[in-house]
Amino acid sequence: MPRILIVEDDDRIRIALRLMFEGEGFDVDDAPTGEVGVALFNRMSADIAIVDIMLPAMTGFETCQALRAASDLPIVIVSARDDTADVVLGLESGADDYVTKPFVPEELLARVRAHLRRRPDKSAKAFALGNLQVIPDEGVVRHRDGTELHLTSTEFRLLTDLATANGKILSREDLLERVWGYDYFGDSRLVDVHIRRLRTKIEPDPSNPLYLVTVRGAGYKLVL
Amino acid sequence: MHRRSLRLRLLVTFGLGAFILSAFFASLTYLGIKHVLISNQQRTDLNQSFANAALVRSTLYTSPPELPNLLNSIEKATNSNVLIQTHNQWLSKSQGAVTQDVSGAIIDAAVKGHATEQTLTFRGQEIFVVGLPIPAVETQFFEVFQLSTLSHTLGILLLLIGAGAILTSLMGISGGLWVTRRTVRPLERVSAAAALIAGGELTTRLVTGNTDREVQQLTDSFNAMVSQLVDRLERDARFASDVSHELRSPLTTLATSATVLSQHRDDLSPVAQQSLDLLVGDLAVFQSLVEDLLEIARSDAGAATVLIETVPAVELVRQSVRSASQHHGIAAPPIEVADDVHDPQVNVDRRRFERVMSNLIDNAHHYAGDAVAIRISVANELLVIDVDDAGPGVPPEEHEQVFQRFFRGRAAHDRGIARGTGLGLAMVREHVRTFGGTIAVMESPEGGARFQISLPFQEGVDE
Repeated sequence: MPRILIVEDDDRIRIALRLMFEGEGFDVDDAPTGEVGVALFNRMSADIAIVDIMLPAMTGFETCQALRAASDLPIVIVSARDDTADVVLGLESGADDYVTKPFVPEELLARVRAHLRRRPDKSAKAFALGNLQVIPDEGVVRHRDGTELHLTSTEFRLLTDLATANGKILSREDLLERVWGYDYFGDSRLVDVHIRRLRTKIEPDPSNPLYLVTVRGAGYKLVL
Repeated sequence: MHRRSLRLRLLVTFGLGAFILSAFFASLTYLGIKHVLISNQQRTDLNQSFANAALVRSTLYTSPPELPNLLNSIEKATNSNVLIQTHNQWLSKSQGAVTQDVSGAIIDAAVKGHATEQTLTFRGQEIFVVGLPIPAVETQFFEVFQLSTLSHTLGILLLLIGAGAILTSLMGISGGLWVTRRTVRPLERVSAAAALIAGGELTTRLVTGNTDREVQQLTDSFNAMVSQLVDRLERDARFASDVSHELRSPLTTLATSATVLSQHRDDLSPVAQQSLDLLVGDLAVFQSLVEDLLEIARSDAGAATVLIETVPAVELVRQSVRSASQHHGIAAPPIEVADDVHDPQVNVDRRRFERVMSNLIDNAHHYAGDAVAIRISVANELLVIDVDDAGPGVPPEEHEQVFQRFFRGRAAHDRGIARGTGLGLAMVREHVRTFGGTIAVMESPEGGARFQISLPFQEGVDE
């Protein structure tokens, strides 16, 4: 059974979410604060986390960062406002996805399931990006000296999907569907922020990308 | 009706007023001066005549043959003509004298021993005739003075006064111009500012520091009014925003709990199931209402949350249409791109643009059985995006109203559709305006409704 961590300070929402996810067959850990959430995760682990941005003391962003530092698990943030700045900051903090309050519960469920369905694509062949060696069947990226470069599962998926496209351009919605597994209303900001994060990890100069290039009006492609 | 111009009316009033006044005073002055001049002249002439008559009398006593010489010298000295009559016979007259100048009435009076005087126009000339009896020698003395020299003076006077009157009228008109400017300009400023404010430029204020107290008062009250209005608008917007924010958490709890109930639907009695369905249905309406309210509140709050990017338009429309159709679970309408559309780039906030397309496609779905086509073309240097359907259309009288908040058109009543929030199209218009574009509703080629978005764009440059 998938284990889900819910960090939400509003008691009523937290209880309702717990009941809903339990009804869908999840094991639920819930925490009213970021501190409790991170502690729970360290003790119990989880397959996916839902984190409210507006938390007292330790913010949702900080909670995301702490969870991300410990694990690759998918994190969905719940933003109070649909402000681009908030969403981007949340994604920059390591979240994979976001929903805004008041969210449609079925949509949250669908997103959570999509994230859990995702498995690393091990069929892709290994390839080199400059000094980096991407090995999909091991799910790792290594520097030439053998040290491992840490990518989140979303980032890794993004990279391998672009690689298997064989130099073809993938549009933002193509990527949303392949990487996030949505066949409903997505948000292209998700793609843009993750591409930016990925660039800071794999590009020698992230502001002048050599491998992960933007094709204006079309999307992104990977130059091998 | 064409309104009369205040400016023109003021000018005409001032010009005409000045003209009438100056003409009136000019005529009064002219007539007064003329009267004084003429009566002065006549008094002088009369005195002269008495003196001349005395001279004639003494000459008649002493040496009557000298009379013609005397008369001629009088004519030379006083520029008048003298005639002497005795026993109804003209005794003598000066060289220029004409007997017709002297009327019978004057002669009769003089014969009867009365001194008379008469002003008359004779042969086009104004003349002043004096008749004096000289009873001692049974003679009548007549002297004819020409008033033409006076007429000349009066002519010049008339010219001067007339010129003065015209000058005064002109000054009246220029005074009118000045007053008009002083009074109409502040009015024009107020109306320009009001137009700006009506157009959404809520920071517009009138410039203060005018020296006129009345204008200053107008400026102050106008600015105070606008400030209050803006405060009120902001309060209203904040209120809507605050309420929606407060609703978010309980609404999330409600929606999630309803989902939990739905998970256990089979455990419920048929009555409870039915009421659960009602609950779930209206929660969805409630949810979109709050979402739309929040979205509008964000637009009202200003550009702080808008993220404008330059995006290739055709791709953007394709993407938005696809994701909107998926979101609403309906078939994506075909996208028709006109031949003259190359690679237009538009400056929009992606997320808001997606909301716009999503709303229009959802509307078409609910009111017209789905959009039949999305058509992209270029007209008047604007990129035109048409969302066309083949439904009943929007009646012309509702073309403007459909974009108003909480407006529910005939279509909604006819079809008994209660799920709309009444905010969708208002939000769509807000968003399109944010992108510097416009939206209008008209008839589609299929006879249904066409929602037409016009956006400024620039042609893309190939990289």
